[in-house]
Amino acid sequence: MLLQRSDLPLSDDPAVRILPWIVGLMVYLATLTLAVALLVSTLTANWSAGLTGTVTIHIAVINDESEAVMNRRVEEAIRLSLKTPGIDAARAIPSDEVAALLAPWLGDEAPIADLPLPRIVDVTLTPDSTVDVAGLSARLKAEIPGAGLDDHQLWRDKLVDFLLAIQVVAVLMVVLIGATTVTVVIFATRSGLAVHNEVIDVLHLIGARDEYVAHQFQANALKLGLKGGFAGSIGGLLTLIVIRYTASELDIELFPTHLFQIWHWPVLASVPIIAASIVRFSARHTVLRALRRMP
Amino acid sequence: MTNVENSVVRFENVGMRYGAGPEVLRDVTFTLPPASFHFLTGPSGAGKSSLLRLMYLANRPSRGVVSIFGKDVTQISRRALPALRRNIGVVFQDFRLLEHQSVFDNVALPLRVAGGNEEQIRKHVSELLRWVGLEKSIENLPSTLSGGEKQRVAIARAVIGRPRLLLADEPTGNVDDAIAMRLLYLFEELNRMGTSVVIATHNETLISRFEHRQLHLDQGGIEYRQNGAGSRDAASA
Repeated sequence: MLLQRSDLPLSDDPAVRILPWIVGLMVYLATLTLAVALLVSTLTANWSAGLTGTVTIHIAVINDESEAVMNRRVEEAIRLSLKTPGIDAARAIPSDEVAALLAPWLGDEAPIADLPLPRIVDVTLTPDSTVDVAGLSARLKAEIPGAGLDDHQLWRDKLVDFLLAIQVVAVLMVVLIGATTVTVVIFATRSGLAVHNEVIDVLHLIGARDEYVAHQFQANALKLGLKGGFAGSIGGLLTLIVIRYTASELDIELFPTHLFQIWHWPVLASVPIIAASIVRFSARHTVLRALRRMP
Repeated sequence: MTNVENSVVRFENVGMRYGAGPEVLRDVTFTLPPASFHFLTGPSGAGKSSLLRLMYLANRPSRGVVSIFGKDVTQISRRALPALRRNIGVVFQDFRLLEHQSVFDNVALPLRVAGGNEEQIRKHVSELLRWVGLEKSIENLPSTLSGGEKQRVAIARAVIGRPRLLLADEPTGNVDDAIAMRLLYLFEELNRMGTSVVIATHNETLISRFEHRQLHLDQGGIEYRQNGAGSRDAASA
């Protein structure tokens, strides 16, 4: 289909010659934007799963209670947690671990051991189960003085909202890139129709159907769309690889490309094909619409 | 005089104007029977090209009825026009060849548009180009041809599909008398095979050599004239 001879010298049109460059640039941008959307999507899922899999019980120090009394309250909290359906495990975080977590903020010389630090119980939820977090929180407060439960809900919700906003913006950008491509194709095709008006008129007068003329435009548009699209796609994928390499060299999680899943690659690779199809359809639609107005 | 149902072309009180301009054709009524041969004559600006445009379906009339091969073109849809146009061969005054295509591809165009077999196309086009004396220019672009050669390419393109109706606008305008006569004999040959022919021309000498009828246009109206005898008929049959 791509190698068919054409009755219209479309490849000579200045507006058409620029089409592969425009499509290439659009596919390049779309590939990068889509990569960001896919990474953020994975990141959202990972973070969401990580955070919803655990809740934290904190037990504040009450006056000058002894270590033994404090330990009893911790054990009671663990017992209460494990009695709650949907909780897989509960582990008291040793005081030295808590101290180690605080050390970077308080400094090495701070008397962390002397501080009245609360005790922390890390509660692991059973995957895919529903836990009555509010009920557990109420029971803890009622039965254990100074105990409270943090399910990270507020922080998690804000984070997930932020990541979803990034995804929406990325998808909108992809849509805008698509719309820009369609607009460029429409103008290039209209320009082609105007330039080749005489030839199209002759084709009509010797019996060519609108589809015959449209086929020539769409075949040319598809060829140019694929040419520009694959160039843009290769450029986009190479850019991702360079960013990943650079980020790993700097040892930063600026662009966590390791989060790419296997199905992401065919999605990214399909961008030039989808772009070329959009280009082809836009050219065909534009030509048929314009020809319908001819006698 | 003519069976209206079997007519190739029938005009009935046809008027035509371009946009909001004056009528270039007024109350034109005539009928062309199958396998007829007519010269279309008249002074410049009489409306010969407009009449031809209506016949090769480039325009629709502003009023009246134009019927081609028994189909009222004022009523049929755009989708039905290509099938009718494939039965009409046109030699344009300015040739309208595709400048980026070779002589061969220009002549092959109607067959390709109709979805013809490429092997058959090659055979028929080569044969026709040999007949019109252009076998050596088969791969040339139109820009390398003389006016007369271009005209022969245009004629070959018009007749390659064995049209039922052949319309030619000044087809002998750029060729010498010998070639003009040869082209007219080609048209007569096609006419003998059943094609109706209408040739718009100013060439009185050429017209006088043939005994075909004339459709004479003047001031937007039309009348029949019989060649040789100088008689005039009423235009409406």
